[in-house]
Amino acid sequence: MNAFSRQTKSWMALGGVVAVAAFALFGTLPTLGADAGSAAHSVQEAAHASASHGAADHGHAAVSVFSLKQIAHSYLTAYMFCLSLCVGSLFLTLAHHLFDAGWSASIRRVTETVASLLFPWMLILALPIIGFAWTGNLHAWFKINPADDHALDVKKVLFNPMAFTFLVPVLITLLGLLARQIRAWSIAQDKDGAAHWTSKSRKLSAAGIFLFAFGVTLLCFLLMKSLQHQFFSTMYGVYYFAGSVWTTLITLYLLTMWLSQPGRPLEKVYFKRQQQDLAVLFFAFTVFYAYIHFSQYFLIWNAALPEETFWYVRREVGSWKWVGMLILFGHFFVPFLLLLNQDIKRNMAVMIPVGAWAWLMQYVDMTYNVMPVLHPEGLHLTLWDPIFWIGMSVLLGRLFWSEYRKNPPYPLKDPRLQEAIVHHEVPAPGASAAH
Amino acid sequence: MNSNRSKPHGLLAEFHTAADIFEAAMRCRDAGFTQWDVYTPFPIHGMDEAMGLRKSPVGWFTFCGGFTGFFTGMTMIWYMNKFDYPLVVGGKPLFTPLYAFPVSYEMTILLSAFGTLFGMFFLNQLPKFYNPLFKNERFKKSTDDRFFLCIEATDPKFGMDATRTFLTEKCHAAVVELVED
Repeated sequence: MNAFSRQTKSWMALGGVVAVAAFALFGTLPTLGADAGSAAHSVQEAAHASASHGAADHGHAAVSVFSLKQIAHSYLTAYMFCLSLCVGSLFLTLAHHLFDAGWSASIRRVTETVASLLFPWMLILALPIIGFAWTGNLHAWFKINPADDHALDVKKVLFNPMAFTFLVPVLITLLGLLARQIRAWSIAQDKDGAAHWTSKSRKLSAAGIFLFAFGVTLLCFLLMKSLQHQFFSTMYGVYYFAGSVWTTLITLYLLTMWLSQPGRPLEKVYFKRQQQDLAVLFFAFTVFYAYIHFSQYFLIWNAALPEETFWYVRREVGSWKWVGMLILFGHFFVPFLLLLNQDIKRNMAVMIPVGAWAWLMQYVDMTYNVMPVLHPEGLHLTLWDPIFWIGMSVLLGRLFWSEYRKNPPYPLKDPRLQEAIVHHEVPAPGASAAH
Repeated sequence: MNSNRSKPHGLLAEFHTAADIFEAAMRCRDAGFTQWDVYTPFPIHGMDEAMGLRKSPVGWFTFCGGFTGFFTGMTMIWYMNKFDYPLVVGGKPLFTPLYAFPVSYEMTILLSAFGTLFGMFFLNQLPKFYNPLFKNERFKKSTDDRFFLCIEATDPKFGMDATRTFLTEKCHAAVVELVED
C-alpha cells in the first residue's frame, strides 16, 4: 500500500483497458437495438397520448452526429457527471462540520476544494446549457406553449425559460459561495488556529444543508429531470444525490490514497483507518443508491400510472433495457458483493479498478437519464460523449489541482486534526520486547 | 465439587490504565499465550491487534444468513403466488422478482441479523452460566475503573510460577490466582 507496486500499476492499466473495451462494446449496442426502433415509436406515442397530451417531444427523427441537439445532450451528460462530484464533495464537507467529525479533518481540504469548483467554474460551464435550452436543442418545454400542454401547464411555475435562466445560475452560485465560505474559514484557521472558525463553519453548515438539499434537488429537476417534463418522481433528487456522493467517495478514496503516498502532502495525516472508513461509506452509498433507485422504479411500477411509467417504458426500449440492467448489476451488485469483505476495502488491486468502474457507472447512469430523450431507439454513443466527459473531467481536474496547491494540503490547525492523526497502529509481534 | 477446589483456573492480572493493559496484551501475544483474554470497562482501540486476534469469522454467518433470507423470500413468494395458489393482484404478473424484492430484502436483513447474533453466540460458546471469574470480588471493578487480563491454566504455555512471574515482573500487575469452583 505504501507505493504503487508493479502489480498495482498493471491493474490500473487493466482498468483503463476494460474502460475502453466497455466503451467499444457500447458502440456496438445500437445495432442490437436498431430494429426495436419502430416499437420505440409506438411505445412513445402511447406514452404521449396518456401523459403529455400531444407535447412536442423531440427525438423522433434520427439525429445527426453534428447536430446541436447531439452536442447539447452529450454536453449535459458530462456536465451532470462533473456536477455530481462537486455536490458530493460539498455534502461531505457539510457533513463533516455537522457531525463535528474528527476522522475526516485531514482530508477535508480536498472536498472543500472540489466543492469550490462550483463557483465560478461550474457556473461558467452551465452557461452553454442555458444557451442550448434557449435555442431549442435541449429542453423541449422551452418551445412549448403551456396552454397546449397540460403536463407543462401545471408545472409552468418552475418549468419556464425565465425561471430556468434565473434559477440554474443562482443555485450553482449559492452552493458555490457556500463551499467557498467554508473553505475560506478553514484557510483562515490555518493561520491562527482559533476554534471559532470551526464553530462558524458548523453553524453555516446547519443552514447550508437545507440550501444543499433544495438546491441540488432543484438543479437536477431543472437540468435533467425536466428533459421529460411530464415525469413525476419525488425521489429523483435523492437519486441524483445518492449517485453523486457514491462517485465522490470513491474518487476521494483514490485521490487521498494517491496524496498520502510517501513524499506527498497527506503522508503524515492520512492512515489506513480513514481509508477503511471512506471505503465503508462508499459501500454504504452503494446500498443507499440501489435502495433509492429501486424504490423509485418499484413505486412507479407498482402504481402503474401512465404519467410516471412512460419514463421507464421508454428506457426499456431497444438497448436501453440492457443499459438499465448494466446499472442494476454494475452500479449495485458488482460493487456490493465485492466490497462485502472488509479486507477488500484496502486492497488497491481491487479498489482502483472499482474506482474506474464507478466512474463509468455514474456516467452510464447520467446517460440513462439524459440520452433516451434524444435516442429513444436505443443507446447511441457518439464521439461527443467521451470528448465532453473526459474533456470536462480533465479541465476540472486541472483547476482542482492548481487550486489545491495554492493552500496547505490539509487544515493545518484544525482543532479536530489531532483526532484524525491519532491512529492506532499496533506494533507487530516482537516489537514490544524492546521496551 | 470438592475435587475442583484446588484445581487452578488461571491467573488474573489487574491494571489501572488502558495503556498498561494494552502493553501487557502485546507482551502476552508475543510470549505466545493462546488461552487468555482481557476484560475492560470500555472498548480499547487497537486491542484486537495488540492481542493478535484474527479477523472475526462472524461475517460468514451473516453472509450465509442473508443469502438464505434472500432466496427464501423469493422462493416463498414464487411458491405462494405462482405455484400453490395463482392469484392475479392489480394486473401484475403472477411472479416477478420486482414485487418479491421488498419481502426478500427484509428477509435478507432479518436472517443476516440472526446469522450475526447466533453466529456470535456460537463462536463465543454462549450462553455460559458460570465462569470462575465471577467469584472474584475485585473482578467486579472491570465494569468500573479496572482492567483485567486473565491467562487460563489450560494454556499450553501456562506454568503457575513462571506465568505469575511473567505477569508481575514483565507486566507490572497485581496478580491473583483463580480456582475452578
